This record gives sequence, C-alpha cells and structure tokens, in this order.
Amino acid sequence: MLTDTGPVAKLYLSIIDDVIESMRELFLDEGLEDRVLDDLRHLSVTAKLDHLVSSRGSVHHTGKRQTAVSSAVQLWESKMMQSKAMEDFRKNNINSSNFVLQLPANYRQNDQELTASVVIPASQNICSFPVKNNSETLATFSLPAGLAYPVQIPAGVTLQTASGQLYKVNVPVVVTPAPAGQQSVSHPTQKAPAPQPVAIPPHTIHPPQEVEPSPVQATSVTQPPQLMTDLPPSQESSLPQQPQVPAADTSQLQSPPPEVTLAENESSPQAEPVNLSMTASPCSQLLDFQLGTEEALTQTTQLKTRDVDDILKEVIEEEREKADRLDLYSELSDIVQLDGPADNSDMEEEDGGLPLEENDFLGMINAEAIKVLQEGDGSSDDNSISSSSDSEGADELANVEEEDPLNSGDDVIEQDIPDLFDTDNVIVCQYDKIHRSKNRWKFHLKDGVMCYAGRDYVFSKAVGEAEW
Amino acid sequence: MDSSNDEALDIIVTNVVATFRTRCHLNLRTIALEGTNVIYKPEVGKVLMKLRKPMITASIWSSGKIICTGATSEDEAKLGARRLARCLQKLGFKVRFSAFKVVNVLAVCSMPFAVHLIDFTKNNRPIASYEPELHPAATYRIKNLKATIQVFSTGSLTVTGPNVQNVATAVEQVYPLLFECQKPLCK
Repeated sequence: MLTDTGPVAKLYLSIIDDVIESMRELFLDEGLEDRVLDDLRHLSVTAKLDHLVSSRGSVHHTGKRQTAVSSAVQLWESKMMQSKAMEDFRKNNINSSNFVLQLPANYRQNDQELTASVVIPASQNICSFPVKNNSETLATFSLPAGLAYPVQIPAGVTLQTASGQLYKVNVPVVVTPAPAGQQSVSHPTQKAPAPQPVAIPPHTIHPPQEVEPSPVQATSVTQPPQLMTDLPPSQESSLPQQPQVPAADTSQLQSPPPEVTLAENESSPQAEPVNLSMTASPCSQLLDFQLGTEEALTQTTQLKTRDVDDILKEVIEEEREKADRLDLYSELSDIVQLDGPADNSDMEEEDGGLPLEENDFLGMINAEAIKVLQEGDGSSDDNSISSSSDSEGADELANVEEEDPLNSGDDVIEQDIPDLFDTDNVIVCQYDKIHRSKNRWKFHLKDGVMCYAGRDYVFSKAVGEAEW
Repeated sequence: MDSSNDEALDIIVTNVVATFRTRCHLNLRTIALEGTNVIYKPEVGKVLMKLRKPMITASIWSSGKIICTGATSEDEAKLGARRLARCLQKLGFKVRFSAFKVVNVLAVCSMPFAVHLIDFTKNNRPIASYEPELHPAATYRIKNLKATIQVFSTGSLTVTGPNVQNVATAVEQVYPLLFECQKPLCK
C-alpha cells in the first residue's frame, strides 16, 4: 500500500506522527481519551500504525471537540493530498482514482448498523473505522494503490480518492475498479430506499460541498474565498456564515435571517443585533465585495469611454479622408443613416453628410468632452447650423420645423428636482420581481443589505411598495 | 358643423403624444445607467424616461427618435420634450431638438344625454360602425379631419385626432348627429 512512498511522503508522515504525539498531552489535559487521538492517527494516511489500529475495534466518537478535531485533521489530510507536495505519493495511488461504486446486490438497510471495520480483502488492513449510520462521525480514508478491489464500504463514510476528491457515502457501496479509461460511474442498483446518488463522476463534484456533514461544522480555511464568491447566489445562509464564525453557536447561525418588509424596518430589532454580530463580517465583506466590483466596473467604463473618445477621433479623421476621395460618400451616408440626410421628410441639412456623420459619432462622446466643446464653441455650433434664435416663428414655412437651440438656461428650464438621491438610505440587493403600474411600483427583493436611518440591516426577502 | 353647440361642453384633453428627434445617436445604456427616472427595456431596445413637472413619459430609441406621451396640452408636450432633450444633453449627447410634432391628441367629452347607438349607426351608416360584441361603443370616423370618435351609450365620447383643434371640430361636428339619436329622458 504505502510501501512505495517517496521521500517527501515519508517526511509528511513523520510530521503527522510527531504532531500527534505532541498533542497527546494536550488531549489528556482536555479530558479526551487516548483512543480519540489514535483514531485521529487512523484517519491520517499512514500505514505504520496498523498494529495499533487493528487492536482498537470500533471506537465511539463523542463530543463536539473530538469531531471538530477529527474534522480538522481530515481537512489537513485532504489538503495535503491535494497539495503538490504529495504528488509522487499520489502517482502511486493513481490506480485508485477511477473507481466505480456499486451497491451490493444483497444490501439491506439493516446493515447500516455496521460498526465493524471495512471489509478489505487485501492483506493490508487499513483501519477500523468508527462507522455510524447517522453520519455523526467523519471517517475518511483514501483508497490506496495496490488495493485489491472490490471494496465494500458501509454508509456514513467519506471517501477520498488519491486525487484529493472527497465523496460522502450515504448508502453502503461496493467499490470496484473501473475499466481502463472509463470516467463515468454506473448508476448503482437501487435497492436502497434512499435514492440519493452515491457516486458522481469525480470531475463534477465540488469537493468542499461534499465534505460538509449536517450538524458538524466542518470548516475549511481555504473555503472562505470560494464561498465568498458563492455568497450572492447562495441560498444556504448557514454555509457562508460558518467559516467566519467557526466557534459560534450553530443555533444562531442556522436560523434564517428575518424577513424584512420595507414598511417596517424595525420589526425585529432583537433578532437583528444578534444576526448583525454574526453576519457583520460576511455582510461587510459582501458589501465590500460588491462595492469593489461596482467600483471596478465604473472605473473600467470610464477608461473605456476615454479610449473610445480617442478612437472616435481617429475614425472621424479617416472618414474625412474617405470623403475627399470618394464621390460615393453621399451614398455611403445613406447606408449609414437612413433617417438622417436621406430622409425625405427632413430636408434641412444640406451641408453634406459629413457634419451629420460627425454628430453621430460625437453623440457618443462622454460628458467631459461635451462640456469642453460647449464652453469652447458656445452654442455657436447649433446656431450656425440652425436658423437664428427666433426660429420658432419661421418654422411653419418649411416642411419640417427648424431646430431650436437648446439654450443652456433661457428656453429650457432645468429639472427642478436636483439630487434627491444623495440620501443615506441605500439598499443593495437582488430582485425577484419589479412591477410598475403607472406610477405605483412594487418590489420583490431578495438577499440584500441596507442602511436605513443609519442602521444596517440584512434580509433574505423584502417586499415594498412605492409611489413615484 | 359650426353650429353653436358649445354650451359649455367640456372637452378634456387627457393625452397628447408627440415625437421629436435628437439628430444624434443615443447610447441607451449610458442613459439607463446615468439618467434619472429611467426604465431600461433592452428587450425592446428603448429607454423610458419619466418627467415629473410636465407629467410625461418618453420612449427613447437609440436612433435618436423620441416619443413623448402623457402631456395634457400641446404646449406642455413641447415643453416636456425640450426638457427631455435638455436632460439628454446633460448626459453628454450632442442633442439637437428637431422635428417636434404632435402626433395624437386624446380627449374625452360627455354629452348631457344618453345616445341610442343603433339609431345613430343606422343614420350614419358608412361613417359610423357599431359592433356590440366587439366593443360597446360606436365608432365614428371623420375622414377630412382624420379624427375618430367613440360614442358610448351613456353619452360619453372619446375623441382622438392629430391636434387639439381637430378634436374640438370633430366634437362640434358630431354633436348634432348625436342629438338626434338621444335616448328619451325617461330613462
């Protein structure tokens, strides 16, 4: 099994041993039994303790700390397996990466009470695992190289392949080696009442999610970055909150955030402080994450418009050159803009297609350039092209109305309602449905944070109505 | 036609639809992101911008054509259109206010009497049409005015036409016809 480990693997194994030995005293101080520590060693990838292990029999995991420590060790092992340092070790175990899980033909649900060790026909005993049906325990082991298949695995066991993938076995299975090159997994014969898929092709499983057992907080230090990205779409509120507060009470975290209606913002003030404290860090991180992406977006759009500006000017110069060369430019302008100079109804502009083309491009210039142009040229551009200021009176003569210069303050009054929007009440969320009838708006929102009256709130669902 | 039937018949203009052009291409996304009081409809390809002061709603297309609806008078429609163009100019587009045209005016009017629609339709056979299974009102179209009047049996009218003057003329025109077919007052 592990006889062909490389020097690096041996180093790691020795490290595991040293750590466990050094922790023995600490474990004793905490009141944990020796057997617990030995179980931890079982869970580690080593063959040197076979003699110690086999004498143990089934061990009963109790207590949160034991499971927490064991889970930590598993994760340590899983990380080690995934790390490149163990590559040579993994190469030796590469045979076991493809395996097909099948339900044994004579499976009965009563067999789930197995506490015996895993039946491995090979001469090497891996370990006896404290297998419990209710998945309180986290027994993991990796299928090492050279193992003679088939392997019968009872329920409640988490499997780890050599490539580092972890699978949670909910139904007792029999592991057989796959034919060469086969990656897919055959569907197990459904003798078990639970239709849960036992094995999924390895490349489709997301390892961290498979590891999560129900009540136990299996946390992973490497998971927060992944989970943070899952935060906005994720509906499982318990999952993202776990990594942040691993030591907190599970009861508070797993209670769903209260539904907040916009009409009553202080409906649950008592629940909110609790949730706030628990969710402050993920929420602030969520906010930062979203704000960061928003800022990045705005910055990129600003950069893009500036670049577009330069590009547009170049294009305009090219167009001018083309106009000098081609007599067909007027026809080209028809192609470009059918409702501009070629429009039959409007015959006002006869300066050629060029100024209109220019305007089409300049229509996309950003606000800064526009202001500069306007201040520099004044409204002379508009005035020069259109008729004089009292154009309104003379308009009826022509087929179409002449243009009226939009003077900056004379004719057209600015919007009298400037910035009502610089309020401090902000909601950042996703929407389920936004509905409007005339000026009545109805909002169905979800997964949001909001700052209202100086206080921060978080909600998974919000309903609101407003009149515009 | 020009009989003095204006015994204070209140013709209330409820909607004026106008169009104009900005003479420049508009980037709808910029308007949607930076404009105030906008609704972006990318599936259709337009942006709705609502104004408060003249309560109007404008549909803005990327070609620069804008349809302005909801005004209660022609002047208000023009004022709202100019304000809208001003908004777009502030967003950075080289907007020129051109080709403003009131396209449709909708007005309602109420007769002081009820109307017998079947008689009214019979009297004005080709011009008026009445399909009670389809619509409860009789439709009277005045070709030269390009106006359409819908007459309800209660005596209410809705008139649509290209401008307010046409609408007023249409009401005056149809009043005597309705007067003939009024329902007896015993109802």
